[in-house]
Amino acid sequence: MSGPDDSDLPGGWDAAAAEYVLGLLPEDEVRVFEARLAQDRELRQDVQAWEEYFATLTDPVPEVAPPPQVLRRVEAALFGRARKPLWQQVMPYLLGAVAAAAIAWAAVFSGLLSLDTEPHLYAELQSGERGLELLAHWAPDSETFMVRRDAGDLPAERSLEIWLIPGPEAAPISLGLIVEDQLTSIPVPDEIAALMPGATVAISEEPSGGSPTGAPTGPILDTGQLAER
Amino acid sequence: MTSPQAEIEDLIARIAMGDRAAFRLLYERTSAKLFGVCLRVLDDRALAEEALQDVFMKIWHRAGQYRVNGFSPMTWLITLARNAAVDRRRRRDAGGRAAGAPIDAADLVADPAPGPAQQVQARSEAQALADCMAELPGDRAEMVRRAYLEGVTYAELASSTGTKLNTVRTWLRRSLLQLRECLSR
Repeated sequence: MSGPDDSDLPGGWDAAAAEYVLGLLPEDEVRVFEARLAQDRELRQDVQAWEEYFATLTDPVPEVAPPPQVLRRVEAALFGRARKPLWQQVMPYLLGAVAAAAIAWAAVFSGLLSLDTEPHLYAELQSGERGLELLAHWAPDSETFMVRRDAGDLPAERSLEIWLIPGPEAAPISLGLIVEDQLTSIPVPDEIAALMPGATVAISEEPSGGSPTGAPTGPILDTGQLAER
Repeated sequence: MTSPQAEIEDLIARIAMGDRAAFRLLYERTSAKLFGVCLRVLDDRALAEEALQDVFMKIWHRAGQYRVNGFSPMTWLITLARNAAVDRRRRRDAGGRAAGAPIDAADLVADPAPGPAQQVQARSEAQALADCMAELPGDRAEMVRRAYLEGVTYAELASSTGTKLNTVRTWLRRSLLQLRECLSR
């Protein structure tokens, strides 16, 4: 194992602790350092002390009030939809009449009056340890299963796999892997689409590239039942 | 009487239990300082707003991991803000490519047991750091300051000083050791 102790650089773990707090430690050394940190209490206290000292560098930084939309966005992301302004609450009613007329017009001219639209389904998934915040979303009209990552980072060199568990006795069906982008979007074949209502979504941590067996092998980070909002 | 420090600790403890009113209060008390820190690192309002959002998302999810340890709870919050802003800055500078290790992990370090060092309350960390930074050669102190406040990397420090990366790293590690030695006097 290579660590700061083995390199030609001066300072060993003591200097590495400061580099770690400054964010200067190269990625491979971060992993070695963190492994050591987990077992070395003095090193943890060193890191804490550097955090405390360096944080004082922000003492002269002036306070700036952030614009109000930041709190709105945070609360909307954490607690669901933010309260809309009054005119937005009223608008749907005003527009309702117009929309109804438009739909009737469209139905007449297209000859396709289909009212059996299936509801969109959602499940919120979290993993406290990683700070992961995911929103699973089943869009039946486009037969697309989406997972939006609202917070947290993906594990390095591991994959997060999405599973659908159609019922208490059913085996998990792999839907795919969570991608680096904020939104993972997976087209779903008809036979799996039919299983969505009431199914449970699970996220597991797997070796890079996904479960080698076709069933979850790693820890399950969270599960959630798909439901309407 | 409740000190501001105890109040923030109390708010964080309530947030850990899912108290949304406490979350909003903490936002009111600390967001201007934390936004200032994000702006200092990023020098870009839109990105600083995004970083601040990251910070408060993390505060909500990680409040349970915060441990009262004798250090200021503001240190925890400032570290979260500084690291979130540096992550955004490095992602921007890398043109959207992943740029090295996210330094977010350093936020998680929290030792629940206060050691003897933390119990020495009366000393002013800010003054101690300023005094010890003043003992470093000026350009080295500036490197430390830029690394913390701007999130500059060794590669950037090397190219701005026209030196090899390992040379800069050797200088800086020596300076950090000197700083550590001075701070523990």
